[in-house]
Amino acid sequence: MLKGFTRNFKPLEILTQEQVEAIHRATLDVLWQTGVTFHHVKALKLFEKNGFKVDYDEKRVHFPSGLVEECLRKAPSSFRFKARDPRNDLIYGGNTVYFMNMPGMQTIDLDTWEPRVPTRKENYDGVTVLDALDNCHFMDAYSPYFGFEDVPEVMKIPESCAAKMRNSTKVQGTGYSNDCEVFCIQMSQAVGADLVGRCIAAPPLTYYSDAVEAAFRYIEAGFPMQLCAGGVIGATYPATTAGSVVIGNAECMAGIVLTQLVKPGHGNTVASFTLPLNMRTGAPAFGQIGISLFHVVFNQMWRRYGVPIYGNADTPSSSKKIDFQCGYERGINLTINALCGANSMLFFGGLHGELTHHPVQAILDDDIAGMIGRFLEGVTVSDETIALELIEQAGPIPGNYLNTAHTREWWRKEQFVPKVADLLTYPEWMQTGKKDCIDYAKERMEEILATHKVSMPMTASQEEDIERILNEARKYYRDKGLISDAEWAVYMRSLESPNYPNA
Amino acid sequence: MGLETLENLKRAVIEYDTEGAASWAREIVKKKVEPIKALDALTETIRQVGDRFGRGELWLPDLVGAADAMQAAMPILEEELKKTGAERKSLGIVVAGTVFGDIHSIGKSMVCTLLVAGGFEVHDLGVNIKAEEFVEAIENYKADVLAMSALLTTTAAEQKKVIYTLKEKGIREKVKVMVGGGAITADFAQSIGADGYDPTAPGAVELARRLVGR
Repeated sequence: MLKGFTRNFKPLEILTQEQVEAIHRATLDVLWQTGVTFHHVKALKLFEKNGFKVDYDEKRVHFPSGLVEECLRKAPSSFRFKARDPRNDLIYGGNTVYFMNMPGMQTIDLDTWEPRVPTRKENYDGVTVLDALDNCHFMDAYSPYFGFEDVPEVMKIPESCAAKMRNSTKVQGTGYSNDCEVFCIQMSQAVGADLVGRCIAAPPLTYYSDAVEAAFRYIEAGFPMQLCAGGVIGATYPATTAGSVVIGNAECMAGIVLTQLVKPGHGNTVASFTLPLNMRTGAPAFGQIGISLFHVVFNQMWRRYGVPIYGNADTPSSSKKIDFQCGYERGINLTINALCGANSMLFFGGLHGELTHHPVQAILDDDIAGMIGRFLEGVTVSDETIALELIEQAGPIPGNYLNTAHTREWWRKEQFVPKVADLLTYPEWMQTGKKDCIDYAKERMEEILATHKVSMPMTASQEEDIERILNEARKYYRDKGLISDAEWAVYMRSLESPNYPNA
Repeated sequence: MGLETLENLKRAVIEYDTEGAASWAREIVKKKVEPIKALDALTETIRQVGDRFGRGELWLPDLVGAADAMQAAMPILEEELKKTGAERKSLGIVVAGTVFGDIHSIGKSMVCTLLVAGGFEVHDLGVNIKAEEFVEAIENYKADVLAMSALLTTTAAEQKKVIYTLKEKGIREKVKVMVGGGAITADFAQSIGADGYDPTAPGAVELARRLVGR
């Protein structure tokens, strides 16, 4: 099992108990009065059968408070995600904090900072880097990239899923679109791992059929689920944090109720990809402090409900470069979210929104996650750490602590040493040719790609299964007419590479 | 008296007063003010709002609020204009919408508002619009420009399908196609045979002007 980090102190809370209860009551009120739309007949019937008020014309479910609270009580506060290598299993819940990668649609050119579609090799290398980074504990859906060169749109998620299975043994999440989850579930079952199932509400207060169908499929497979709300504050959510949390809560609760009706006790995490609207451009405003304000409130509410918190929009930046803005936006929001009780956070490698990802950024992020993780672990207070006897022995100057067994034992436990930060003095720095953290991160990336080996390579039969399932997916989408002749020709040519599947 | 009513209509728009705008439009009809004058006043007002948005003095909620108020008044005045048999000149007729499978409306609505402010007649079909619905609207309104939006990578391909359907129906050459949205790039636009792409809403207005030769 991967330990991750443990937050050894009370989480940051900014609401009073009265404020928590006010938001809770408003959430239940929205669930009953306004209700939530489900574009899925089977789900509507399930709700009706279990005593919920269903308006079939509007496809709207109205949730009686008592039934909501009953379902919330059934949702477990802790559960396990099985990885392909059991040493990478995750125990989700409590004070445990994990970091995962932030996926990107595209990669970036580190000289021009322009985005472009990654190659197959860059996608597989990106997985290898994330697999090698100690503080990246699992991988989110569509990672590291949403797709890569020559892969048709509908095959992007199955190909991404296969890449993560081949080049990593860490837990991974996946998405749903055009039934792709069917193939991802089969691949996971073939290698004996769980996927982080996902069901995302469309804000405000709506679940579309693909999300609900995916939930049914993940639950049937026995995979714990991420229920994700996520609106744009000021557009699909109200402009206020409190109002936005009410809707986010209601969306997540509606999803949890559904999962608990299908299978009582099924593991769920809640997530919210919520961020403010850029009132100039109409695009989501990544990296803004309003995201942390939302999450500190959302997380406080969900600790009350005892459901593990996945974390989500915390950390992408609005910057297009690995630069000062990218550092402060991501660093500040990640720190606040780690302090306010999220059990995991999307972080590694993500740059501008969900649009770009780069392994060099992921390597820099390994240091940031290490710093924050070390902070979360807190301080040990014991006779040994107070070190009264040692202080008496050393006395005033010329006493010191460098050459002591105590220092040799404790400094490593107490301090965190970043791997690629520039910690040199000026003269040393001049001697290196003025290298900075990005230079060191590039060097580390080369080293990882030259030396890293996945902890448990796939067996021949697992590899055979993965390729068979991919071929079934290819045939399924081709037969459905979702891959054109031109796309198919390019795709098939790319599979003939002597270095397939890695390049 | 007519002038005063026109001023009230303009004020309702810049104060985001939807009900007020509709009510002043009805008042204008009642007082027999020439509807063309009122429509011109509306267009001029929304152009000023668009300019102030462009200068950073107003924000998106202001732009959307003014556009809504304008949209409340416009059908009342257009209905009256039809009765007089007069026609209003616009730079061109645009049919706009977010493609099937995609429910994102903000970017598309921004573009529509700025197109109206820029002097176009815009028919916003909304979100989740199928290829056949676009075709029907293009034929119905005799559109010069089709403006399509897609935010998701998974729905971008739908734009290609719409263009394919235009070809099938034999009307591709009659309408200029501009595309936009979070998932769209210039390369993608070119690859699907669109006539133009711009990443920003103000840029989309300039693009539409170029496409109709203005």
